[in-house]
Amino acid sequence: MSKPEAATPRHRRRPGRVPWFASVPALIIAALFTIGPLLVVIAMSFMTRPAQGGGVVYEFTTDAYRTFLFTKNFTGDLVFNTAYVEVFWRSIVQATITTVISFVFAFPLALWIATRSAKLQNFLVLVVTIPFWTNLLVRTYAWILVLNKDGIINQTSLALGLGPQELLYTDLASQLGLIYTFLPFMVLPLYSSLSGFDFRLAEAAYDLGARKMTVLRRVILPMAKPGIISGLLLVFMPALGAYVQPVLLGGGKVLLMGNLIASQFGDSRNWPFGAALSVISLLMLALALIGIQLWARRSGTKVSLSL
Amino acid sequence: MTITIDPARRSRRAMNPKSFPGVGFIAVFSLVFLYLPMAITVIYAFNAGDQALIWEGFSLQWFVYVMTNHAIIDSAVVSLKLATAATVISVLIAVGFVLSVEELRRRGSAIATALLTAPLLVPEVVMAVATLAFIRIIGLQPGFTALLLAHATFCIPFAMMPIRSRLQGLGTEVFEAGADLGATSLPMLRRITLPLLVPGIVSGALLSFVISMDDYIISAFLSSAGSTPLPVYLFGLIRRGANPAINVVALLLLALAIAVTTVTYLAPTRKKRTT
Repeated sequence: MSKPEAATPRHRRRPGRVPWFASVPALIIAALFTIGPLLVVIAMSFMTRPAQGGGVVYEFTTDAYRTFLFTKNFTGDLVFNTAYVEVFWRSIVQATITTVISFVFAFPLALWIATRSAKLQNFLVLVVTIPFWTNLLVRTYAWILVLNKDGIINQTSLALGLGPQELLYTDLASQLGLIYTFLPFMVLPLYSSLSGFDFRLAEAAYDLGARKMTVLRRVILPMAKPGIISGLLLVFMPALGAYVQPVLLGGGKVLLMGNLIASQFGDSRNWPFGAALSVISLLMLALALIGIQLWARRSGTKVSLSL
Repeated sequence: MTITIDPARRSRRAMNPKSFPGVGFIAVFSLVFLYLPMAITVIYAFNAGDQALIWEGFSLQWFVYVMTNHAIIDSAVVSLKLATAATVISVLIAVGFVLSVEELRRRGSAIATALLTAPLLVPEVVMAVATLAFIRIIGLQPGFTALLLAHATFCIPFAMMPIRSRLQGLGTEVFEAGADLGATSLPMLRRITLPLLVPGIVSGALLSFVISMDDYIISAFLSSAGSTPLPVYLFGLIRRGANPAINVVALLLLALAIAVTTVTYLAPTRKKRTT
């Protein structure tokens, strides 16, 4: 089915643009390599696990989803098993802590940058953008050095007579890594919504008798709302599926959604179960997205995902 | 000498609309937090000893080690080839898309844009396992082709964003003027549209390149023995523990990030100043 030729004035092409079929390659790639794989994962989550090895057998079953909630006991009855639910819960908790702490540091930083001179603002944005584009493995590795037994934290702790601390390969290390890697993702959208703020409005609020905290809460925070929403999207969603930080800094001891899914796809593992976990995590993210969107709509802000 | 505090002045300073209690302190702390670990990484790349964190003097021996290590060089070459190819593909596709998406019906154009930005919202692990399962079904094996297709897919949204915002920033007047002066489709595209899009295209290309060089998870699932990108190899090294050679690779990747960020950042400003 083809689009009618651009004959009516309504369909006349805008000057400088190219015909509609130039967007076809993009759509084909997106359909093939975004929608295609997701459909395969959904289908795979309803398939049977082969007797041995990885892969799937094309036979419909909901076993994979049952594995998520139940386990078979000695007599072969299904009993409720919270192990996997706990992994998902732990991911939600870590992603939430990451988002909240990132915001606690990012908001003052973004506000501080926004109140500098124009020239300094440009430079500081550059300073925050560099970690944003630095290789994730590099940023994670840097924390291995910091938390290492010979690292600065342990050196300081020894110098203060507090003795060596076991920091690397813990929950805390994985959490710190998440906050570190996602902090710039929160600062940049917050800054972009605060940078246009006219601080004479804050001055007006003071003249009307408002205190610092009131101005922050009732004047500046509402201005930052679009940035807060983008920041939420850019931090919470990827933190939920994090893989590199829990594996490298948590030493594989910290089991989160991301590494649980990845571990199901090794050889002689349970592919249908991994697919089911993927589908469940996608549903969770969709719910989170809907929640963010509802909150945004209620406060009259448009959700946008731009850097 | 006595210091007198003018009460009026003091209260005005306390009410400086741009200053908030604690904000400067947390801001500076956050910047230190962002840069201290990377500074340590960079410093220890010059360590003479073979322990990652025991300083034994300045040396460039680890740079020599990295530059002559075949495994590291080979994986870096795979990464560079992959990133270059993925960038070219994704920029071409993104330019075509950005210039034509508004020609689709309104709803079609919204759906198309959502479809193209979807990879940003799907967790990388899920995209990785899904793509692995998918390429098996269409008869591909993990390897360079599979890597290239996956990388091009997730680079497209990053290539698209700056190009689209550049096009939106241009407005319609310049194209209307071109049309009034008789420019037809092809000369318009070649002489007006594309040259004006160059800053957006440069940023889009640099972002795609960095995003491709950065990717670990998707690459880990799609790489094969002959085509292991640098992050996949680096991940294996890091899992074996800290080592000054990793610091050197980290320093080089950090230098790439600084170069790319500075270029994307300076390009539009310079343009604004000269015009």
